[in-house]
Amino acid sequence: MNNNKLLIINGPGLSDLSNFNDYGYEHLTLEKLQNKCLETCKSLGMELDFFQTDDQATLTKKIVEGITECDALIINPVGYSHESTFDLDAYASNIKSDTLKNKPVIEVHITNIFHDNEGISEPVIVSKSGVGFICGLGVHSYELAIRSIHEKLNHN
Amino acid sequence: MNIYVINGPNINLLGTREPEIYGSETLGDIEKKCIEQGLKDSHSVKFMQSNYEGEIVEWIQHAIKEKIDAIVINAAAYTHTSIAIHDALKSFSGFKIELHISNPHLRESFRHVSYISPVVDAVVAGLGPSGYSHVIQLLTELKKQYNEA
Repeated sequence: MNNNKLLIINGPGLSDLSNFNDYGYEHLTLEKLQNKCLETCKSLGMELDFFQTDDQATLTKKIVEGITECDALIINPVGYSHESTFDLDAYASNIKSDTLKNKPVIEVHITNIFHDNEGISEPVIVSKSGVGFICGLGVHSYELAIRSIHEKLNHN
Repeated sequence: MNIYVINGPNINLLGTREPEIYGSETLGDIEKKCIEQGLKDSHSVKFMQSNYEGEIVEWIQHAIKEKIDAIVINAAAYTHTSIAIHDALKSFSGFKIELHISNPHLRESFRHVSYISPVVDAVVAGLGPSGYSHVIQLLTELKKQYNEA
């Protein structure tokens, strides 16, 4: 089975997960997150490329380059979902690009990103592509995404 | 662990309604998978669907009264309109997951606002019909980890 390589990209700020202490995710580190993802992938017979960057240009580059090697993408764009400074068009067009055609994509967030804005206003979600979306499950957001992708890859 | 899976309007049409968006599985198929998934660890999954907003509110109130552990709610179109469901969920102190088969944020702009998202713990969307059983599996595992900790 060759159809089993997953790319996980973590955006800015995720190098230091102590920011999430306030959200009830004490002692969470990027290493722990990575290990959890590796563990889940291993149990499903999947290969994993786990990547984190604080730099926007590197992030978009990794989406394009990384996905050619991989069969599916999980991305945590973090603050980019809400930040006006982020180049939404570049991000969205990369997600939609032909390189991603027919490859499952899921946007994940550790926390529920809708808690802060009281929800009545429209959330600014950047990934307007054919993607799944999971937030608020902590490291399990990733776990759920990996399982869903594994199922999709093995059904197509 | 007792889990309520609450489904809103038109979800009873699954399998026949716009299968290109929602898939060809019926709600009965999904229900069966969720119940089986729960039974693996002796959890009870109660699966419900209503086209009536008030009935959904009453089920949530019932979950509060019966101290149900978790609610998975696909409020469908009421997601974008119902302050009553928002209020009811706010009073439920168990674990709450908002679920959608497709990703509403990729569809018409009137589906971009959710009155549910701010009052739940987590949002899961766009994983297709199998999102339900994946969520049930995760809930039962989280429960197990919690009990062992």
